[in-house]
Amino acid sequence: MELGLLAIGAGLAIGLAAIGTGYAQGKIGAAGAGAITEKPELAGRILLLVAIPETMVILGFAVASMILLILSGGK
Amino acid sequence: MLLPMAKVHIIGHKACLDQTLATLSELGVLQIENVGEERMPPLPAMALDADRLRQREEARFLLARVEALLSVLPAVDAGQAASPVLALDHDAIVAALRAELDTAEPEIQRLARQYDDLLHEQQSLPRYQAQLTRLLPLTPELTELEGYETVAMLLDRRYSDILGSFEAALAGLTQQQYVVVSTALDGDTTGALAVFPRAISAEVHQLLGHEQVTQVRLPPELSGMSFQRALSYIEKRLATVGGDQESIRLELQEAARRWRSGWINAAMLLRDKLAQLEVINWLGETERTFLLVGWVPKRALPALRDALREAVGESIIIEQVALGDEELKRAPVLMENPAVTRPFEFLIRLLSLPKYGTIDPTSLMALFMPLFFGMMLGDVAYGLLVVGLALWAERRFRHNANLRDLSRILGLGGAWAVLFGFIYGEFLGTLGPILGLHPLWKSREDPTALPSLLVLTIVLGACHVTLGLILGIWQARRQGHVHQLEERAGMLVGLIAICLLIAVAARQLPRGLITPAIAGLLVGVALLARAQWPSGLLMAPVEMLGVVGNVLSYLRIAAIGLSSVYLARVGNEMAGLVGNVWLGVIIAALFNALNLALGAFSPTIQALRLHYVEFFSKFYEEGGRPFSPFGGSSTTRYSTSQR
Repeated sequence: MELGLLAIGAGLAIGLAAIGTGYAQGKIGAAGAGAITEKPELAGRILLLVAIPETMVILGFAVASMILLILSGGK
Repeated sequence: MLLPMAKVHIIGHKACLDQTLATLSELGVLQIENVGEERMPPLPAMALDADRLRQREEARFLLARVEALLSVLPAVDAGQAASPVLALDHDAIVAALRAELDTAEPEIQRLARQYDDLLHEQQSLPRYQAQLTRLLPLTPELTELEGYETVAMLLDRRYSDILGSFEAALAGLTQQQYVVVSTALDGDTTGALAVFPRAISAEVHQLLGHEQVTQVRLPPELSGMSFQRALSYIEKRLATVGGDQESIRLELQEAARRWRSGWINAAMLLRDKLAQLEVINWLGETERTFLLVGWVPKRALPALRDALREAVGESIIIEQVALGDEELKRAPVLMENPAVTRPFEFLIRLLSLPKYGTIDPTSLMALFMPLFFGMMLGDVAYGLLVVGLALWAERRFRHNANLRDLSRILGLGGAWAVLFGFIYGEFLGTLGPILGLHPLWKSREDPTALPSLLVLTIVLGACHVTLGLILGIWQARRQGHVHQLEERAGMLVGLIAICLLIAVAARQLPRGLITPAIAGLLVGVALLARAQWPSGLLMAPVEMLGVVGNVLSYLRIAAIGLSSVYLARVGNEMAGLVGNVWLGVIIAALFNALNLALGAFSPTIQALRLHYVEFFSKFYEEGGRPFSPFGGSSTTRYSTSQR
């Protein structure tokens, strides 16, 4: 039971972070696509901006890993 | 690295100007600056005299004519034979070219028009054929009448009652001298034909315009024909139009063989001449002399001096200008890197060129980016496929510099992926152990390997960010930027202190190091606060957390790699469950193909992001102005691709 809750917690940690990242990337991507249409030379900078929110899901991954590795104690 | 640049003033007698510009254009090593934008005693900008204005307009007009004809002539292999006009001076070239164009232009334009007409016929006749075929069932009820006109119409069945009102109006106009027949052509369309006296043609067409009925309009060559005759005409034309096109294409090819290579060379010469004439406005002048200001790579300066002396003689002065801070800020940037790292310049340019006098990170990117890519993909089979794909793409796109560079980058990443495939023991995901491939370090599929993998990526991230901070400190010190120096030093000290604290907490270092680590962290935060004083008081801890976030961001190397392994595992296990060997092979192939596509794309983007965001933010100063040498298309431009 406890292990199941830990698994749900880990899933939520990465899942919610992924939703947040997806939402932010969607907004940035839409604006970026418009900007690239006007100024193709901005492609590199837009790529950078789109990639920035990914830190959220990576931190979610870190938290999920910690939940599974540390809190579950190797069960 | 960024090549050191020298700023030069070239002063000479106006009589030498044309020769000077021609020599500079041929050398292609000097970027000419607009004297009007220079911080120097004002000199009037040089104006074009009447003769040069005439030359410019003539060159522009001829270039437009040549380019228009070149756009019509097909590319043919006519060898490297240069046009005889290349051996002549500018006026002679212009005269010879004008004579050539006057001879060939009317014939080429006629062929091009005919070819366009045939192309149009080939595309439009099938449309008329389809419409006439649909209307053909109506025609047996009609006879061809002298002095009468036939109009064909297509109506949406929902609006076919328009026909009734049209017929009533027609009856009024013609005193009953008309015929209208209609039939349902398919579920949605009704076809109708109206025959009426030609004398009231204008009124009938006006009436049709009012009713917004779609008329079937036939091309002029079909007007007056019966539908049956028009259809057989279309069939005959469609049978012959291809042959007509082919014969015109052959004639155009013949013309291309005769003229194209010579005109391409002539167009390049005209562009060079135009560039030479247009740059004159950027020069300064006195009564008898001109002044040209420009940038040249330092090592190309002796060659520039020698070439100008040889071409113009001793009457020209080339003076190297001492560079102050303002000049250094405006210096153009030219990157030069070894062949193996040169493709990565493309990725630097994708962001923005570094400022002159700062660090060119191309070589570092060439080292770390394929490494990160390989760590993420980490599979012998995928790596080999990526290398194969990259080799194919490099050959396929050898004429497209950007795609060729990307292929080389992908190839290097694929080679690292093969190496890490052996380290992780992976072949098509989970098939490594089955094929006797055992991991040299740890298998990523093994859950107990996860902590080691995470630690490895964090340590790698800490090293990469630390390297960036060290470079940033070195650069700030060299440029004398105290605030940047303090900020980066604060981040570095704080990062080292946090690493020490984590190592102590993980019992990898003695507890006695806690005090110096906390002291280091406080020093780091204090340096950060001082660099951004007074807002730094609040922002310094946030900035320090940002550095930790930068390091944690390298966890994506493990995360992307794990997702790749588990996707491959899902594919392989699903393939094993279906019970049919061939279906299993197809499922496994599909999953692995998807995994490979994601594996080639995602690690590239993630490795790029780690460089752009986490690494470059510590030292990279963007905003460099690209070196753009004055030099024609027919000459040897001083650019990376030709060194």
